[in-house]
Amino acid sequence: MGQKYDLQHERVKHLDLTQYSQVESGTTVGETVNKMRAEHRNCALVTQKGKLVGIFTDRDVLHKVVSSPDAWNKPVDEVMTPNPFTVTEDDKAETALLEMNKRHFRNVPVLDSNGHVVGNLTHYALIKFYADQFPEALYNLPPNPNQISDSRVGG
Amino acid sequence: MTEVTLNLTRKDFVSDQMVRWCPGCGDYAILAQMQRVLPELGIPKEDIVFISGIGCSSRFPYYMDTYGIHSIHGRAPTLASGLKLTNPNLQVWVITGDGDGLSIGGNHLIHTLRRNIDLKIILFNNRIYGLTKGQYSPTSLPGTKTKSSPMGSIDPAFNPTAVAVGVGATFIARTAATDVKHMAEMFRRAAHHKGTSFVEVYQNCLIFNDGAWDYATNPKTKHENIIYLEDHKPLIFGKNKDKGIRLNGIHPEVVSLDEVDESELMVHYEDMPDGSLSYFLSQMRHERGMPEPMGVFRCVDEPVYEEEVLQQIDLAIEQKGKGDLQQLFYQADTWVVEDESSGQNGSNGQGGNGSVPTLGVDEEYVGVVFNDEASSEPYFSPTDTLSTLNPRQPLIASQDISLGEAIQKLHNLDVGLLALVDDNGKLAGVFTEGDVLRKVAGNVTDLDATPVKDFMTTNVTALKEDDTLAQAIHLMSIHKFRHILLVDDDNRPVGVLSSRRVAHYIQDNFAEN
Repeated sequence: MGQKYDLQHERVKHLDLTQYSQVESGTTVGETVNKMRAEHRNCALVTQKGKLVGIFTDRDVLHKVVSSPDAWNKPVDEVMTPNPFTVTEDDKAETALLEMNKRHFRNVPVLDSNGHVVGNLTHYALIKFYADQFPEALYNLPPNPNQISDSRVGG
Repeated sequence: MTEVTLNLTRKDFVSDQMVRWCPGCGDYAILAQMQRVLPELGIPKEDIVFISGIGCSSRFPYYMDTYGIHSIHGRAPTLASGLKLTNPNLQVWVITGDGDGLSIGGNHLIHTLRRNIDLKIILFNNRIYGLTKGQYSPTSLPGTKTKSSPMGSIDPAFNPTAVAVGVGATFIARTAATDVKHMAEMFRRAAHHKGTSFVEVYQNCLIFNDGAWDYATNPKTKHENIIYLEDHKPLIFGKNKDKGIRLNGIHPEVVSLDEVDESELMVHYEDMPDGSLSYFLSQMRHERGMPEPMGVFRCVDEPVYEEEVLQQIDLAIEQKGKGDLQQLFYQADTWVVEDESSGQNGSNGQGGNGSVPTLGVDEEYVGVVFNDEASSEPYFSPTDTLSTLNPRQPLIASQDISLGEAIQKLHNLDVGLLALVDDNGKLAGVFTEGDVLRKVAGNVTDLDATPVKDFMTTNVTALKEDDTLAQAIHLMSIHKFRHILLVDDDNRPVGVLSSRRVAHYIQDNFAEN
C-alpha cells in the first residue's frame, strides 16, 4: 500500500496537466511568446485543427529566439520541436513519469483517445500530486521559509 | 479616475508581519491563496480592507498588506457594514471563524447576509475554538469530546450554508483549505459577486481538532465524499465520475451511473431565484451518508443594500435639504453641565506604568506542535533536508555583466538559472530562462549594452541546505518555482535544485520502496 500503490493506480489524467499554452500552427513566434506571457506558461503546444504538430518552450526562446531578432516574426513552426514525444490521458501516471525522466523531457504533451491535446505533463504535475497527498505538511507552511516559531501562538 | 494597469503581484499583498499560526494550520493555505487572487482583481491595495473579529483566523488582516481592522468578537460584519456604507468604493472582506461568526456574532452575520451589503465574508470553519484552546464550537458535531464537553457535546451542529440559504444570501460557496486551486476560484467568484458573498472554508485545526475534515480532504477518499458543483451540469461525483445525485420525491439520493442515465440526475443551477435547490445541497451532509457539495451553491443578482441606502439619502436631501447635525442635537430637551471644580475621578490607583499582564502559556500543550513527526508514512519524508537531494553547483556570475553575457551563459551550459552576486560573492539576484521568456525576448534590441541587473529578480526566496524538502515542495507546488536556489548563512549561493531534481528524488525513493 502507501504511495507506491497510489501512483500505480493513477492515470495521467488525474494529474494537474494545465501548464501549457496552445497556439495554432502558423502563429508567429512573437504572438506565441506574448500568449505564454499572458497565461504565465513556459511551454506552448502547437496544434493544427486540434492535432499536435510541435512544442515550443522557454528553452527554445533561450536558444533560438532571444539572440536572433529575425525569429520574432517567423511562424513558430520554424523554431518549435516538431512531432514531440507524447502520452495519452489514460496511460498509467507512473509509467508516463518514468518515461519522461528517462528521456529527460520537461514537457510531455498529453493526448486523448482521438489524438487531441488535453494537457501537458510536467515535473510540476508530479510535485503537485505529492503535495496533494500531504496537504497539511506541505501547503500549510509559513510563507517565510526561515521563520522559526518557538511557541504556539494563536490570535 | 484614470485607467492605470496596476501590475500588482502576490508580494504586494504580503505584509511585513511575521505570520504566527501553528505550523501546519490550514490558515496558511487560505492566506497564500488570498494573496494570489487579489492581484488579479485590478483593485488598488488602498481600496481593499480586511476586517476580522476574534480568533486564530482573525489575525488575517495583519498579514495582508492592505488596510485592515482586527475588531471586536463577532462584530466584523458590523464594522464592515458601516465601512462599506460610508465608502462604497472600497472592497471589504470579512474574515471570521465558526465561533466568531456563528456563535458570538451569529446575529450580526445573519443580518448582514440578509441585507445583501456588498461584502465578501470568508468563514474559516475548523469546528472548534482554537485560540481558547479547544472548546466545542457551533459547528462541532454532536459527540465531539473537548475540554468543555468531556462526555461529548450534545448540541446539534450549526450548518453554515443552510443558515446562509435560510436568510437569503445571494452568493454562497464552500471550499476546503487543502484544495488550493478550488479555493482560489471561490475567492475569485466571491470577489466578483455584487452583494454579500459567503464562503465557508473547511480548515483543519491541527492542534485541537485534527482530522475533522479528513473525509472531505484526504486525497484517497475525498472524491467519494464530496461533489464538485458545476453550473448547469448534473450532479456527478466519484473518482471515476460514476455516481450521481437523483431526486427521489423530495429526497436527494446517490445513484450509480451504471444503472441510472445521466438525464435522470439533479442539475445544478446557481441562479435559481428561490433557495430550494441550494437548501437541498446544504442538507447533503457526510454524517447522513451523502457527498458534500463543494463550489458555488447559489449566485443571484439582487439589489445591493448600500446602493439603495445612498439613493434614499440623495432623495431625502433633495426633498428636505442638507441637514445640520448640531441643530438636531440641540433641538430636543438638552442642557449644559457646568464643569465642577475638582473633577478627579475615582481611580483605583492601579495602572500608570502600563504593565500589561503576560498571558500564561498552557504548559500542557507546549511542545505538542513541534514534536509532531509526520503521522502518515510517506516513502520519502517531507522533513528530509535539501542537502540529501545532492543539489547541483549553481551557475554564478557578477551582477555587473550584461544581459547578453548572462543569456550566453545560460545558453552555453544549457541551465535554467544564473545566480548573480555582488563584489563580496553575496547573492544579489537571479536571472532565469523564465525571465528570458517573460521579460527579454522581443523587448531588448542591444543585449550587450543592457545590464542584466535591470532584468534580474531581486528579493529572491532562497533556501538553505538544512531546510526541508517540504519547504521546497511548498514553493514548487504553490508558487510554481521551477528552480530553488540554496544559499549559505552568509547569503552566498551554494546550490540549485530544479523541479526535475525534486521530481526525480521523489520518484527514485518511491521506486526503492
